[in-house]
Amino acid sequence: MPLSIRSLTKHVNMAACKTENGSERKLEFFLKVPFPSEREATIALQSLSPDPEPRKGGITKNLDLSGQTLSVRWTADEARILRVSVSSFLDHLSLVMETMDAFGPPVSQ
Amino acid sequence: MLAVVMVLQQASVRLILPAETMPVVIGFEGSANKIGVGIIRDGEVLSNPRRTYITPPGQGFLPGETAKHHRGVILTVLQEALDEAGLKAADIDCVAYTKGPGMGAPLVTVAIVARTVAQLWGKPLLGVNHCIGHIEMGRLITNAQNPTVLYVSGGNTQVIAYSERRYRIFGETIDIAVGNCLDRLARVIKISNDPSPGYNIEQMAKKGNKYIELPYTVKGMDVSFSGILSYIEDAAHKLLSTGQCTPEDLCFSLQETLFAMLVEITERAMAHCGSQEVLIVGGVGCNLRLQEMMGVMCKERGARLFATDERFCIDNGVMIAQAGWEMFRSGHVTELSDSWITQRYRTDEVEVTWRD
Repeated sequence: MPLSIRSLTKHVNMAACKTENGSERKLEFFLKVPFPSEREATIALQSLSPDPEPRKGGITKNLDLSGQTLSVRWTADEARILRVSVSSFLDHLSLVMETMDAFGPPVSQ
Repeated sequence: MLAVVMVLQQASVRLILPAETMPVVIGFEGSANKIGVGIIRDGEVLSNPRRTYITPPGQGFLPGETAKHHRGVILTVLQEALDEAGLKAADIDCVAYTKGPGMGAPLVTVAIVARTVAQLWGKPLLGVNHCIGHIEMGRLITNAQNPTVLYVSGGNTQVIAYSERRYRIFGETIDIAVGNCLDRLARVIKISNDPSPGYNIEQMAKKGNKYIELPYTVKGMDVSFSGILSYIEDAAHKLLSTGQCTPEDLCFSLQETLFAMLVEITERAMAHCGSQEVLIVGGVGCNLRLQEMMGVMCKERGARLFATDERFCIDNGVMIAQAGWEMFRSGHVTELSDSWITQRYRTDEVEVTWRD
């Protein structure tokens, strides 16, 4: 069944909240992306995790895998920085999914 | 029925393996404004499609827009590469891609696709140094044995020679690349970027006949171009508005100056290495005037000049595949966790285990 960013966003859970962390206010953003199989979720994780964030300071991003779900967690000091990173990640995620659509399914291991 | 392939090379017969057992490597390149995917099998180019992101006259290409361009076409180009080679994904033995150097956003876009297909197809991944891609493709196509390499493009200017498992940088630009200098003149005089600003400067230079004296900034083994650029940008405004010269004269003068500098530092490296061969690689290497000037110097020294045509001079996928193949057959593999891209990646950082 072909993946598409549109069909996934129905199932994706996103949450953003502000938490006080001592004297700093940090923004947090969570994203959970379900995949049809654990294998595909792993492929996505390994394609999306190696590159460092272009901007060193002001943002952290953590990717994690739980069964068929890829989860991503950001913390940022400024909304603008958060928005850029999330937007960029979603572009890359949709590229992974389009690649999987066009050149998948994964071969049996 | 096995197809046996024999390759004759300088009167000695080289191997004899059934075609099916020779590894097929696919290479992905997108570090600047060209996005290319190429497939190679034992030195034979099976396909090498490419697209160029061309900006309007007067504009350069920015990382975000370039990445967006690549993202829009990469899967199409990948499919084209397979179709032109007459291959299916299952026929590919390893996936090579440009790890660096280059522009961050486009490098990431291409690496993501390479990582994904490598995993989908269950094949090893190879992160290739872009400069080494140019060198290995130049060596393959021209069969130069051990040349002094002049690598000149929009992003790089280096004089390289191989020694003891490293491509060592003998001379380089201390500021901008020679191609960058040319591209920025093109922006000032607003010439078309189609097919490339350098190509259009070359055509215009042929019609120039007034030599405008520019600073000549060779610094020992190295070169500097940013001063020449500032000078010519300034001169362009003054001289063109007063009609003292034509844009063609500027193109001509800049080429003569830049190329003479490149010939000088190449010759210096050749003298150090006792080299009798020059190989020019990189997009600026397509320039016939540069080849001509280098040829004059080579002839004077009794050396041979090697160059490739625009299929391989200009960034392309198959050069990455070729370098990837050399790395793969000498035992390199890039783990996914190590497959991060890097904007800076020195040519001499790579251990060239495939040469003695």
